[in-house]
Amino acid sequence: RLETRARRGDRSRRNSIAMSIMSYNGAAIIAMVGKNCVAIASDLRFGINQQQTTAVDMRKIHKIHDHLYVGLSGLATDQTTLSQKFKFRHNLYELRENRKMKPETFAHVVSNILYEKRFGPYYAEPVVAGLDPETGEPFITGMDLIGAMAPTTNFVVCGNNEESLFGVCESMYKENLEPEELFEVIAQCLLAGVNRDCLSGWGGVVHVISKDKLITRTLKGRMD
Amino acid sequence: MARRYDSHTTTFSPEGRLYQVEYAIEAISHAGAAVGLRTNEGVVLAAEKKILSKLLETSVASEKMCKLDDHVAVAVAGINSDANLLINSARLFAQRYAAGYSEPVPIEQLVHHLCDQKQGYTQFGGLRPFGVSFLFAGWDKSSGFQLYQSDPSGNYAGWTATAIGANNQAAQAILKSEYAPSMSLNAARKLALKVLKQTMDSTILMPEKVEMCEVARAHEVPSEKHIRFRMASDKELEELCGLANSATLPTS
Repeated sequence: RLETRARRGDRSRRNSIAMSIMSYNGAAIIAMVGKNCVAIASDLRFGINQQQTTAVDMRKIHKIHDHLYVGLSGLATDQTTLSQKFKFRHNLYELRENRKMKPETFAHVVSNILYEKRFGPYYAEPVVAGLDPETGEPFITGMDLIGAMAPTTNFVVCGNNEESLFGVCESMYKENLEPEELFEVIAQCLLAGVNRDCLSGWGGVVHVISKDKLITRTLKGRMD
Repeated sequence: MARRYDSHTTTFSPEGRLYQVEYAIEAISHAGAAVGLRTNEGVVLAAEKKILSKLLETSVASEKMCKLDDHVAVAVAGINSDANLLINSARLFAQRYAAGYSEPVPIEQLVHHLCDQKQGYTQFGGLRPFGVSFLFAGWDKSSGFQLYQSDPSGNYAGWTATAIGANNQAAQAILKSEYAPSMSLNAARKLALKVLKQTMDSTILMPEKVEMCEVARAHEVPSEKHIRFRMASDKELEELCGLANSATLPTS
């Protein structure tokens, strides 16, 4: 994976930690597959230059259509720009083809958009979660910042503290969970996973997407 | 006499006319009629379908109406392939605006952009003008519900009610006497079909011969997010055609 390290030049801040651009703002995102449903959850923190928490209502999951959501971690400005680009592409697709995009198709579009900037990338790592608009089959995938997809049938995570998120998901995840159970599992995983990371947390949002129902809930977590 | 000055689109005639543009407008007067009405609750577009055949595969795509974005739609009169090009350009423009400003494109800007394109083909390049007139129906936050008409010359104007295509003068005359700005959306739908019936050749209005769409508030909630484009369903058309066929226009 690509990571750039930039050392702050000015002398007064000589002793600050090396800055990784992917941890400038902070994020934690999980997506999980359940029985005919998918869930995607993210934290709500928005920080600047790592130490400062500036907002606690920053949504990192964006709706593409009723059964397709994309979560973006990494640099916040790239998150915003990318979500606008995704909306742009999907809107035109829907107008021309008269149907909504399948999650796999959308994931490939995302991958393409990221790879276009292979040698000067967007510093954002997306997670795509959705249901096939016709069959209702769940689909999730994670990607690195230059668009390498990693589709799975269980869960994907991304953010600053991926190791913790992987850990909690590995232990708590079960196959074929119903929407409400899936909500519980993903919510607990998110809250537990962000507790060990100072750059993510401050509450969370969970979306559970099933064929005819959408559950969106905000989580109250430790506000630190 | 006109012959000498009509082959190059970009040349004026001695009388100061652009013949190619006029010929394009003439082409549209043979196309299926389209009528638009604006109300406080939404904008209605209704159109006559010219291409009718049992062999035609009716897909989701419509012959006369097209959605440009969630809050704006067009009715087409003229050469459909010309229209497709312009519609594509309009859709791209609308999305680029939305991506740049995080706001839906204001209707007039969209119309203006399209008309600038049409105008270009009357001044540069030596290509023929687009043989299309549009009726734009849309809503934006600053100006509310709007209806615009554009023609091949690139001119456009905002209207409360108007018609394009075959027999549009007759349609406009009826609209002048029957349209009221305070109409409800339902009344506007009925009037639109009534007007179409008068301008079409047949004595009764068949639901298969017409298309209707609207850009209106969903659930009558006054909020930006609830503006949506909707094509009239077959059932709705049947109902409204029935009403139009039984109604009689006042003699005055």
